[in-house]
Amino acid sequence: MIEIKGLKKSFGKHDVLNGIDLTIHDKEVVVIIGPSGSGKSTILRCINYLEQPTAGEIIVDGISMGDAKSINNIRKEVGMVFQRFNLFPHMTVLENIVLSPMKTRNESRKEAEGIAIQLLEKVGLEDKKTAYPETLSGGQQQRVAIARALAMKPKFMLFDEPTSALDPEMVREVLDVIQNLAKEGMAMAIVTHEMGFAREVADRVLFIDEGVIREEGKPDDIFFHPKEERTKLFLSKIL
Amino acid sequence: MSFDFSLIWDSLPLLLAGAGVTIEITIIAVGFGFILGLIISICRLSSVKILKILAVCYINIIRGTPMLVQIFLIYFALPMIIGERINPFVAAVAACSINSGAYVSEIFRAGIQSVDKGQMEAGRSLGLSWMQTMRYVILPQAFKHVIPPLGNEFIAMTKETSLVSVIGFEELTRRGQLIIAKTYGSFEIWLTVAAIYLVMTLSIAQLVSFLERRFATDDRN
Repeated sequence: MIEIKGLKKSFGKHDVLNGIDLTIHDKEVVVIIGPSGSGKSTILRCINYLEQPTAGEIIVDGISMGDAKSINNIRKEVGMVFQRFNLFPHMTVLENIVLSPMKTRNESRKEAEGIAIQLLEKVGLEDKKTAYPETLSGGQQQRVAIARALAMKPKFMLFDEPTSALDPEMVREVLDVIQNLAKEGMAMAIVTHEMGFAREVADRVLFIDEGVIREEGKPDDIFFHPKEERTKLFLSKIL
Repeated sequence: MSFDFSLIWDSLPLLLAGAGVTIEITIIAVGFGFILGLIISICRLSSVKILKILAVCYINIIRGTPMLVQIFLIYFALPMIIGERINPFVAAVAACSINSGAYVSEIFRAGIQSVDKGQMEAGRSLGLSWMQTMRYVILPQAFKHVIPPLGNEFIAMTKETSLVSVIGFEELTRRGQLIIAKTYGSFEIWLTVAAIYLVMTLSIAQLVSFLERRFATDDRN
């Protein structure tokens, strides 16, 4: 369970998050939508401390943010997938996946590669294990990035606009992988502009605007019966 | 004015031996400079404030004072503090290494900063520490970017080692001076010395562009 209490984040004078309270339960899929610049991504980035919260508390599986050690412990529990994949270009697909398990969990190469190959099978890329990232399409790179995050055996996955940098024909293959993870019961928070996907996969949808949660609820309620004017306005622009 | 070819021919063995010493000191200085520069650049970029301040001070002091003065300080002033004479070779290597370290650290800093920010974030989000991400993710990518400027530093250092002739250390330039003192053949000897430096620096330039090509192709599958 991830508990966020009173999370605030400012960059200089610019307030991005103005008090977010959010609990993500085990096996729950939370989709975060909202206009760009509303702070959606910042919430995810605060959860694993890529951004230092200005105020508030984040508790991941009972681990609260304290010293550097607990930050690294939290990061081992929380996998993150980025908009721009961020694969390591000087390593093969397999090396990308085994690096962290070998260095932070002291897994042997054999053990780590065994798991990596299973994960590559899961994302449908077992034949690409010796390829370098730049030889892969965007969709393939993002699936490798998902496999890499899963290799740390996280309890939670954070997806920061995972399909925004992809060509349209590659969006589906990535969404399918995420959807399968959801079916397996992985708890996750997804920031996305894919509203159809959000409806299919979400247990709960949050609409964020100007750094606060304006509205939250079941996908059908948010998409078909929004209560807030802001939500209606936003949805009318994108649906 | 007559040009004495036989003087060049006769002096060549001594000058080439001097060139050997120049190469030796350059390689040692750039080697230490490399290690020193790597450490300093990492301190400079770390979030530990005291390390950052120390690194910035080091870089500014070394880059802001003439290398000639640094050599004098190490060879003449330092013995007054430690109460012991310093061997010219040690002084020469120390001065060149310390100097090179400052320049190399800035080369590394630029190389590290040229690596996309997302790489550090990806490493950290996978639970790697800052240092682990640096070592396995950032530096291997940065090294490729720093080969050309490091080559320049190597060439610059080859030439700058001529400054240690002032403390009587017998590298190429000092050998030239000594031969001229005996033979008065300024023109022939300095021309030869210049030619030898040129051959050395051009060879390094060749080596660097070879390495550059190697690493450029290594990138692909």
